[in-house]
Amino acid sequence: MRTDSKSDISHAQLFLRRHERMRSRVMRLAFLAAAVCLWHFLASAGVWNELLFPPPREVLQSLISGFSDGTLPAAIFASMWRLCIGYGISLAIGVPLGLLIGRIRLLDDTVGSLAVGLQSLPSICWLPMALLWFGLTEAAMQFVIIMGSLMAVTLAVRDGVRATPTFYLRAAPILGAVGWRFYRYVLLPASFPSVVTGAKLGWTFAWRSLMAAELLYVTTGIGSTLMMGRELHDMALVVASMLIIITIGLITDRFIFKLGEEFVHKRWGVG
Amino acid sequence: MANVELKNVSKVFLGQSGVVHGLTGVNLAIPAGEFLCVVGPSGCGKTTLLNVIAGFELPDQGDVLVDGARIGGPSSDRFVIFQEPALFPWLNVRQNIVFGLRMAGVDQRIQDEKAEALLKMVHLTRFASSFINELSGGMKQRVALARALAMDPAVLLMDEPFAALDAQTRDMLHEELEAVWQQTNKTIIFVTHNVREAVRLGSRVILMSGRGGSILKEYPIDLPRNRYLEDVQVVTIASKIRDELRQEAVRANEAGGTDAH
Ligand SMILES: Nc1ncnc2c1ncn2[C@@H]1O[C@H](COP(=O)(O)OP(=O)(O)O)[C@@H](O)[C@H]1O
Ligand SMILES: [Mg+2]
Repeated sequence: MRTDSKSDISHAQLFLRRHERMRSRVMRLAFLAAAVCLWHFLASAGVWNELLFPPPREVLQSLISGFSDGTLPAAIFASMWRLCIGYGISLAIGVPLGLLIGRIRLLDDTVGSLAVGLQSLPSICWLPMALLWFGLTEAAMQFVIIMGSLMAVTLAVRDGVRATPTFYLRAAPILGAVGWRFYRYVLLPASFPSVVTGAKLGWTFAWRSLMAAELLYVTTGIGSTLMMGRELHDMALVVASMLIIITIGLITDRFIFKLGEEFVHKRWGVG
Repeated sequence: MANVELKNVSKVFLGQSGVVHGLTGVNLAIPAGEFLCVVGPSGCGKTTLLNVIAGFELPDQGDVLVDGARIGGPSSDRFVIFQEPALFPWLNVRQNIVFGLRMAGVDQRIQDEKAEALLKMVHLTRFASSFINELSGGMKQRVALARALAMDPAVLLMDEPFAALDAQTRDMLHEELEAVWQQTNKTIIFVTHNVREAVRLGSRVILMSGRGGSILKEYPIDLPRNRYLEDVQVVTIASKIRDELRQEAVRANEAGGTDAH
């Protein structure tokens, strides 16, 4: 239903909604500030060794020096690049695979149940195999990311396909959407809401797998920076790296996947 | 224009509580250009009848013939308008209407021309770029009708398409559908549980039995067009059919035939 922009009621509603959003934003910022203050006081109270519990100031300094000497941007870039390639491959395989598995019983009984089984394996368990197969190469890291996220993407898309209303499936052949056209022009868009869900889930898994892999592997990357902090007993660097990891997670969730979900909500009226 | 013939068609389902007879020995000849309405108690097999004619379900027994040839699966020549409009929410109104033409690889210019003509016909020109989610129920069914007409099917199968609409919108759609039928002379098979709607639209009404999906009675409707739901003759014939329908529902219940939902 389109609301009449001239009506006072919709104006008032809009105002209230904006007001509410503003208030929750302020609350969030205030809470964050309070947490940082608490952190500061706990650290300066001297209960714990400063080497093990650095104050916010030192973490900030660590961030600033890391960014100004270029090591942090390089690490972030290396991790994101790795992630995008591995995740991209996961999507490129997982979405079509999920569409097919959702439609073809034989594939579901075979490949589908294999995916369900592998899903229960924490992705880092792939690292030993990856190292033996690929050695200390980028390919080993990509392998871990892909194995960590591929099943989640595939299974989410499969579930979406299975939940596709029968009337779409019946409308397709009478509209001439058969063969590959059915998959491309009906099934893929019809299950787009679950593709978004799967993509989001896959991203989370890919990100976690990458961090786990980088912690155990000597390379450039934000996970390795975190581990380097440990080896150098540089607690400020450890916390700084963790903050960066959190921030990247939040940004992708808030901006990239929010856009997809809003699109789905607008067109499909769900989600 | 095409005639449809069902010869001794039966269809059973295996439900939770045993075998359910969807259709039992249905014989039905629908001459080209007829507007056939199908009424019957809920669960009597009306949707199954349409699904079998559409080719969505294979009959267990018997044949469905179109112009004398046995059908093989769904085809755009027997187009179905579902109760839920089954439009694609990822496409706008215009794109939904020409979707079938696009699949058939029809020239873009011809697609545009057809879209304009159909949008005008169903009074949706102003909403050509709207998305399905922004339309009312009546507008959705008009898009579904336009999408069906774009395929120019010989047979139009409609399964309670107006059941969820308010009275005014339904009246308008009755007029539009009747006009389409008069202009194009398509064969229309229209399923409804509303007897008056059946009499208002149909050139023949068939009443299905609530016990095992067979045809109980048929009523030729020889009233002049265009009719109205409130016409005395429409109401009179409808009440006669409704009495029969009510008795049938009671008989079906006593026989423990179908559930009553
Ligand atoms: N796929 C199915 N599986 C099991 N039973 C079905 C199936 N489709 C229809 N039926 C049963 O067949 C009977 C006829 O159904 P239907 O044709 O949908 O009736 P109507 O459209 O007249 O309400 C009902 O008793 C219904 O429960
Ligand atoms: Mg039905």
